[in-house]
Parts: sequence; C-alpha cells; structure tokens
Amino acid sequence: MWIKQMLMAVIGLSYGALAAGGVFTVFIAVGLIPRFAGKTHTGYKVFLYEEMVIFGSITGCICSVFHEYLPLGRWMSALLSYGAWNVLGNVVLILFGVFSGLFVGCLALAIAEMLDTIPIFARRIGFRHGLGIAVTSMAVGKAIGSIVYFAQELYRYSE
Amino acid sequence: MKEEILYIKAERNIEVQKETVLLKDMAKMTCTNSHVLSKAKALKVYQFTQDGPKRQIISIVKIIEMLQSMLPNVTVENLGETDTVIEKVDVNEHKGFLQGIKIVFVSFISFFGTAFTISAYHNDVGIVDVFYRVYELVMGQKPDGFTILEVSYSIGLAVGIIIFFNHIGGRRITKDPTPIEVEMRIYENEVNTALVETADREELTIDVD
Repeated sequence: MWIKQMLMAVIGLSYGALAAGGVFTVFIAVGLIPRFAGKTHTGYKVFLYEEMVIFGSITGCICSVFHEYLPLGRWMSALLSYGAWNVLGNVVLILFGVFSGLFVGCLALAIAEMLDTIPIFARRIGFRHGLGIAVTSMAVGKAIGSIVYFAQELYRYSE
Repeated sequence: MKEEILYIKAERNIEVQKETVLLKDMAKMTCTNSHVLSKAKALKVYQFTQDGPKRQIISIVKIIEMLQSMLPNVTVENLGETDTVIEKVDVNEHKGFLQGIKIVFVSFISFFGTAFTISAYHNDVGIVDVFYRVYELVMGQKPDGFTILEVSYSIGLAVGIIIFFNHIGGRRITKDPTPIEVEMRIYENEVNTALVETADREELTIDVD
C-alpha cells in the first residue's frame, strides 16, 4: 500500500515542478514584472516582486487545489464575528478583484504585443496617428466584453 | 609633438542629479597623457535647463568633434556605445511616500495576479478531476478527502517555483541572476534602443550635421 502512496507522491511532485516550470516560463517571457518595475522606477525592488510572485502562486495553488477542504470564509467568520468578516471579506474580495484584473489586463495586452499584433496591423493599414485612441478603444472593448460576459452568463454552455 | 590616443568607452544610459553633465559622467576614458585625460574628463557635454527636456540623447560623433576642437592633436578612439541616453533624475528618487505606494501597488499586482493565474490554470486543466482519476488509477478505489497527491503536487509546485526564481525569503540559492532580473535588463536595453532610434528619427539627437 505504501508503495502506491510513494508512487503518487512522486507523480504529484514531478507534476507540480513541471507545471511551475511551464506556467512561469510563459509568465517570464511576457515580461510583465520588469515593465511594472520600470514604469514605477522601482527596479531595485525586483527581489520583493519575485517573492510576491512566489507567495502569490503558492497561495493560489493551495486555494484552488484544496478548495473544498479550506472553508476559509467559515473559519474567519467563526474567528471574528459574522458582521466583521462580512466587511473585511469584502475588502479582501475587492483587493483580489482589482489587482488580479489589472494583472490579467496587462497580461492580455502584453501577449498581444509579444506577438507584434499592433505594430504589424499599424504598418499594414498605414496607421500613423491616433495610437492612443486605438489603445483606449481596446481597453474599453475589453471592459465591456468582460461585463457582458458576466452579466449575460456567457460562460454557460448553450443547450 | 607626439600624437596621443584617448580611449573612451561611452555608457549606454546614465542618470545624473546635477544639471551640468561632464564627459566623465557619461564615459570612462584613459590616456597616457594625464593632462589630456583631465581636460577630457572635465569637458562639458550638456546643460539641463529648469523647464527643458529631462532626457537627452548625445551621439558619440558630437563628443569626438568637441574633443578634437579642444585637443587638436589627440586621436579619439571610442570603444563603447555610439549613442548615450542622459536622464536627469530628482535627488530623492529612491525615497518618499509615493515611492512606497508604488512598491505596494506592484507587489499587490504580483501577488494577487499570480494567485489568480495559477487558480485559473488549475481550473482550465481541471486539476481536481485529474487528481481524482490518477488516485483511482493507482489505488484502485475512490479517494475520500484530499490525498497525498494534492499535498505532494503543492509541494512540487512550490519547489519548482523557488528553483525557477532562484531565491526564497531574500536569499539567493545560487549566484546567478534571477529570471526577472535578466528580463529587466533586456527590457531596459530595448527601451534604450527605442529611445535612441526615436530621437534619431525625430532628429532630436545632439549630433554633428
């Protein structure tokens, strides 16, 4: 019996290490963090940002893999009072929503840029001015798309 | 008089805090004649003004021209970059409240963003389902509760990330630069190249005619 358990431990460890390698290679290739650090002139804090990436992914991993066995909300509302957690929980939700939204928004455009979509398009159609308008339209389009997606429940399979 | 050779290695990008930029700020140089060397080091290259641009690109050809008019019988040999980006920064750039807010902001994006990404990835590949089937396959029975598979996966993921990024808790595991440090330098180089080429195209570079 313990041999099977060992086998599973090996499977799990290798899968985890490889998934980390794969997911984070893509993530590094896109080069989001250097851009954030460059824009805010905080390049000397790259170490801290990498630590945040590490702890963020470990947190995300634990929360999504052990989803059913980690009723964090129930624990917290038992620990604090229900009302207090109701407020604090919403603050956590807003933080998570805003910052993960920012991240995904940047990621989407960074991938588009890595594939040179915008420069190629601009060159083909002889686009010289109004790049700002184009980028703004993209942002507005993505925001509207996201709202429609959630409001109209586009994630449901059609019958 | 014997002809002197002044070797000069221009930097790609410099940040200065004072308004007057001397040649020794933007380049390293050496010469057998110390008199020539000190004169060259003190050559005034650019003067920032209060409400002028905060960034200027200077071509090495202009520097050579200035050096030759100042020191006629010196041969200048450039071993470094052909264009230098000079940026004027405020003295307290690395301190202050705003800087702290920016750091917290980027940290939050990094933390919540990656937490979201890895969860979405797990959702995409249906990891709970995969683990359920692997458990069934290996053990020949259905799992009740979470199993060693999930635990070891999480440990594996953590180890993988830490090896990939090469540090934990502010301590490096090996002496190599981390992937984001490497990417940061690549990004800086690309920004520099873009700055130089844009300035060249718009003819804002300080250059000979």
